[in-house]
Amino acid sequence: MRSVSKARVWLGLPVLLAGVGLVLSFPSLAPNPYLLSVGIVVLNYAVLSTAWNFMGGFTGYISLGHGALAGLGAYGTALLITKAGMPSFAALFAATAIVALLAIPLGFAALRVRGASFVIVSIALVLILLLVFQSWASLTGGSSGLVVPRPFPQLLRPEHHRVFYYLFAGLLALALLCWWLIDRSRFGLGLKAVREDEDKAESLGTPTFAYKLVIFTVSAAFTALGGGLYALWFGDLDPVFQFSILSGAYMVLMALLGGVRNLFGPVLGALIVGIGLEYFKVEYGNTPLHLVASGLLLAVVVMFMPDGVIPSVSNVFGRFFQPTRASIREVSAEQLREEARR
Amino acid sequence: MTAPRNLETVELTKRFGGVTALDGASIAFHDGKINAIIGPNGSGKTTYFNCVTGMIRADSGQTTYRGHDITRRPPHAIAAAGIGRTFQLCRVFPRMSALDNVLVAARPGGVATRLRGARGRAEVARAREWLAHMGMDHLEGVEAGNLSWGQQKLLELAGVLMSEPETILLDEPAGGVNPALIDRIAALVRELNAAGKTFIIVEHNMDLVMNLCEHIVVLDRGRPIAAGPPSVIRSDERVLGAYLG
Repeated sequence: MRSVSKARVWLGLPVLLAGVGLVLSFPSLAPNPYLLSVGIVVLNYAVLSTAWNFMGGFTGYISLGHGALAGLGAYGTALLITKAGMPSFAALFAATAIVALLAIPLGFAALRVRGASFVIVSIALVLILLLVFQSWASLTGGSSGLVVPRPFPQLLRPEHHRVFYYLFAGLLALALLCWWLIDRSRFGLGLKAVREDEDKAESLGTPTFAYKLVIFTVSAAFTALGGGLYALWFGDLDPVFQFSILSGAYMVLMALLGGVRNLFGPVLGALIVGIGLEYFKVEYGNTPLHLVASGLLLAVVVMFMPDGVIPSVSNVFGRFFQPTRASIREVSAEQLREEARR
Repeated sequence: MTAPRNLETVELTKRFGGVTALDGASIAFHDGKINAIIGPNGSGKTTYFNCVTGMIRADSGQTTYRGHDITRRPPHAIAAAGIGRTFQLCRVFPRMSALDNVLVAARPGGVATRLRGARGRAEVARAREWLAHMGMDHLEGVEAGNLSWGQQKLLELAGVLMSEPETILLDEPAGGVNPALIDRIAALVRELNAAGKTFIIVEHNMDLVMNLCEHIVVLDRGRPIAAGPPSVIRSDERVLGAYLG
């Protein structure tokens, strides 16, 4: 077993460094501001999908409502700037804190139910908030949208893109670091036990409800940060896009596609889906064709790669390293004599 | 009957719709002994386990553990109080390694320790010890779902033992297990009992129960109809009637 994990490190480290290098040098390599903005969109997807994966990956609770948390982060940031006159980034963090606090009562209600019921409760959250933000036009601007003042008014558009590209990359790095830390912690092990068998985990002394509530709050906070940063970058919010089931569904699709049990699963998923969506937008314009493609992609993933791309690929590699396993303990005659003597 | 009380229930009642699974069950188990619950299918044995461990909430009645009321405590708090349990159809975490299956049960300290690495040296050493105790130390990296039924049963037990319970509830430990493994599990129970652990065992294998257990409670239709040492239970007419009649 040890040789496998060592091989993984030796294979993984160069890939990781190459990945980081590529992400950091992309703004210099991108030939035009449009491609840079695609990079930002992909990074935003990666942040949101990784944020979703705190909940979905560890506990197995599939939330289709995370789009609403991103929307709350976006509108919260925008409203704190426009109505409360806060500086842009103070508003971003304040909005994140508010969403995290809101996640506690939301979690109290939603985390009481499991499986399909939880999915439906999470959908309800999106639909309710969509109606609220559309109807409450005096505060949110309603369907005509809300303009978010730019945080760096002196910057030209390409420069603006470049700054936000690095901000999103930093946020992604922070989210990945947190996910990694939880993944290897005792808290993380308890969360994974919830995913496998919640009652069993509880019977072994894991306070499952408290664990779920904490990770839901963490997940909500990162989702809100992603949404809020998007608001600062894009500068224009519309309830139909901010509170759509589709945005939550994309987070799920990206995470499942890459592999929810892997640190970089959602990032890989965001790369594939994000680029795919942009391609469809450019090639086919404003048609629902990208929805058809997304649906097909989801079906292919669920049918052929239920664990996602990363485990499927590493399984192929793993075959070369995996030692054959014995069902019976293999001991030498020497060891048997030793055992008998004891 | 002079042994100190371990788990004790007073008038425990649980109904599922029209079915009364537990009908005012008042039972006391002896501390430090190997206790058993026997009874025909549907007599409420597993429901009893589920109620006292907090997995399902009893409609009425009271549960105490060594004199402390644990009636409405959540399952994780009851586990923390020192009661470990296995499940009727053995339950492991199928997509986690055997080692992680045991590590999960390590007793958490404060909030800070929960954020520490799950594979702390002391915990891993202890988890490996329990796996070795089950003869499974060479399987620590295997996903639990890929283990055989017997191995999964031993793994489940290793996890429960990792949580350092004082009292262990076993739900059909011999179910679907080959005779050699039954002997092994019986020997393990005796050894742990000698080390001070109390056992409460639900089991259908009468040979095992009569040989292993010191105090037997017979349930029928949700209420105890007899209690005592094997010699008494074996010749109790009500017990024979419940099983045969």
